[in-house]
Amino acid sequence: MQATVATTTLTGVEAIAVEVQADVSPGLPVFGIVGLADTAVQEARDRVRAALRSVGFDFPNARVIVNLAPAPLRKHGTGFDLPIALAVLAATGQVPRAALDDVTAVGELGLDGSVREIPGMLAHAISAVRADRDLLGPFSAGRVVGVVPQLRYRGIESLGRMKGGLPATASPKASRVQTPAVPVLDVADIAGHESAKRGLEIAAAGRHNLLLVGPPGSGKSMLARALCGLLPPLTEAESLESALVHSVAGLDPRQCLDGIRPFRAPHHSCSVAGLVGGGTPPRPGEMSLAHNGVLFLDELPEFGPASLQALRQPIEEGVITLVRAHGAVRYPARITLAAAMNPCPCGYAGDPQRECRCTDGAVSRYSARVGGPLYDRMDLTLRIDRVDPALIIDDAPVKPMSETVRGRIATAHAFAGIRRPSSMRSQLQPDARALLEDAARHANLSGRAVTRVVRVARTIADLEQSVPIVVSHVAEALGYRSWDTA
Amino acid sequence: MSEHRFTLRLGDKRYPAQLAETPDPPRVLYGIGDPSALVEGLGVVGARRATPYGLRCTRLFAGWAAGHGISIISGAAIGCDREAHLAALDAGGDTLAVLGCGPDVDYPRRSAPLLAELRRCHVVISECPFGQQPTRWSFVRRNRIIAGLARAVLVVEAGLPSGTFSTADAALDAGRDVLAVPGSVFSPESRGSNRLIRQGAMPITDVGELAQYLGLEGATPAAGDVAADDTLRALVADPMRPDDLARALGIDIVHTARTLGALEAAGHVVRYADGRYGVR
Ligand SMILES: Nc1ncnc2c1ncn2[C@@H]1O[C@H](COP(=O)(O)OP(=O)(O)OP(=O)(O)O)[C@@H](O)[C@H]1O
Ligand SMILES: [Mg+2]
Ligand SMILES: [Zn+2]
Repeated sequence: MQATVATTTLTGVEAIAVEVQADVSPGLPVFGIVGLADTAVQEARDRVRAALRSVGFDFPNARVIVNLAPAPLRKHGTGFDLPIALAVLAATGQVPRAALDDVTAVGELGLDGSVREIPGMLAHAISAVRADRDLLGPFSAGRVVGVVPQLRYRGIESLGRMKGGLPATASPKASRVQTPAVPVLDVADIAGHESAKRGLEIAAAGRHNLLLVGPPGSGKSMLARALCGLLPPLTEAESLESALVHSVAGLDPRQCLDGIRPFRAPHHSCSVAGLVGGGTPPRPGEMSLAHNGVLFLDELPEFGPASLQALRQPIEEGVITLVRAHGAVRYPARITLAAAMNPCPCGYAGDPQRECRCTDGAVSRYSARVGGPLYDRMDLTLRIDRVDPALIIDDAPVKPMSETVRGRIATAHAFAGIRRPSSMRSQLQPDARALLEDAARHANLSGRAVTRVVRVARTIADLEQSVPIVVSHVAEALGYRSWDTA
Repeated sequence: MSEHRFTLRLGDKRYPAQLAETPDPPRVLYGIGDPSALVEGLGVVGARRATPYGLRCTRLFAGWAAGHGISIISGAAIGCDREAHLAALDAGGDTLAVLGCGPDVDYPRRSAPLLAELRRCHVVISECPFGQQPTRWSFVRRNRIIAGLARAVLVVEAGLPSGTFSTADAALDAGRDVLAVPGSVFSPESRGSNRLIRQGAMPITDVGELAQYLGLEGATPAAGDVAADDTLRALVADPMRPDDLARALGIDIVHTARTLGALEAAGHVVRYADGRYGVR
């Protein structure tokens, strides 16, 4: 007696089709799983046996072999519990085989037969829609997978529910989160820091990487948090992408579905795998969780050299590729990087009020930890200094209204979308180009640095809804390049 | 190796006379280069972490004096010292370095190419024997040799506290004049030099004053070019951060950022490591 049930398993942010074949034949009672299954999948045997019994199904007193195909694909996780149980039930005639023909099943089983959520429900849902199949899974996941258009979802709370046949399809409305978990800091609440706020505006308008350098307590972390509040809400497509990564990582994707841009601020003790993704089974890292949002690295030089090096390529490419024995896993990572650091180990270099006690060697070693290639990827480097307390008190009337700033940024986004995508070089006016060449020679800018200056100038022009990039745009952009401290 | 090593004992004919008459002359001088270059000169010292202003003043005064036949004496440290030697070399003049380690030791490392040049074409001396590594105190001791070889010591830029003070003290002990370049009232990097002036050091505010002090009549001091626009005028007086500049001039931050970016690209202003902008 044989039966086959379709399921899907995660590779990166995609769910790949897998067939669960069960063969029940007379013989010594054994229960084996073959087909490159990891420990969690092997443990399915115990959960499936117990679950079947506790809801009143029979577990066959026979030789039960489950094969997961295709064999070369490594199978991870507990999501195979439900399809394995269903395949055994179908093979033993306890559930009609035909009922499962158009269904893809995923879910973990409790010993009591309850069907539980697994990471990546959104990915499984998207895959089911693409394959034009119904998705059978934990009832509780309905509120999340409900956002996937055209999904036919059949949610069950317990395996026992299968005695009454397949549960009906439902298109559950995704439930919305009411309040964002991270309180967004408003730029209007920040006194002074006029150039820094202008820098934030440009970074937000063009999704540029940003480095904030300044003494302790000057407001670097505060400014970085404000950046997130300046970005326009996620578009529908972005929402789904970001939610997908959260779902795959086993985190609640609802904030992303509500259009709230991800803001991730991993501590510097975070491992390389925690930052860019990795592990077995592979899991997306902070960088991918920040996809379409802001990754904030506070105290940048304190991150390990391996972490800092691992950041470089994904910053440029917007995607992380983890190379595995059984193929590469890719996670999206289109982020705006905001980083903060002190100018020296003691933190007070260049502070007019406090004296820096670091040796020159210590200062250059500190700065060298970040390394030229990473500095090079920072489009805007802003020096942040403590604001005069008197100004914090008096500043009220000249605060830029955050609504106004957000409006300008949204307009710039829209403008960038509609302006003809001719090459940046042709938009660069001759005198702007001459200035850039002068500066590049003067400051010995790398090729990448020049490209990035042009991109920032392009954003500045977008903020003014100007197609040509004129000399003042380039001049301002140059001012945000990191400077040589030698 | 064509370098010429020499050793001079106090009392030797070639031992510099002006140094011998100081209260605490070194018993032995170790050197590499041309011992006849150990003539009386102008000591030029300043902060290692110099601002562009300090470097610019160093270049102006050391370069001008070297170009008019005055040897520039300094310590080859990074910052003002290095700039003083380089300005003298660029002016085609003479310059000599006094080290706090053996004269053959490259310290600081970043000055190695400069030291090589000085050993080859000029002279590098020390009271530390060949091969001796620097110690914390050898630099303080070294400063009295700089002062002793010089007829006057010019402090170009010094904060508070500053190592240059020990050179100024040594100059006074040896009966040498101390000259100082004033700086902005707001600049921490000029607090030391401004204090020296208050304590009686002679202020040097342009090349003409230095020429007059050195007795170089007929020298035509170049008039400093007067800054053309408001931004430059403000920054000449006092290096500032963009926020402060915008407030001082009453212009908005975007305009300020653009003006500074253009001036920097054109080489008229430079950014300090602390984010301030100053005139180059
Ligand atoms: N300009 C300002 N306007 C309003 N509040 C400010 C301002 N500057 C600093 N603060 C206050 O000071 C606190 C410290 O700022 P923040 O944590 O951003 O400093 P930091 O530069 O990140 O310091 P560190 O280097 O120690 O991490 C802020 O939470 C805020 O309450
Ligand atoms: Mg902080
Ligand atoms: Zn420090």
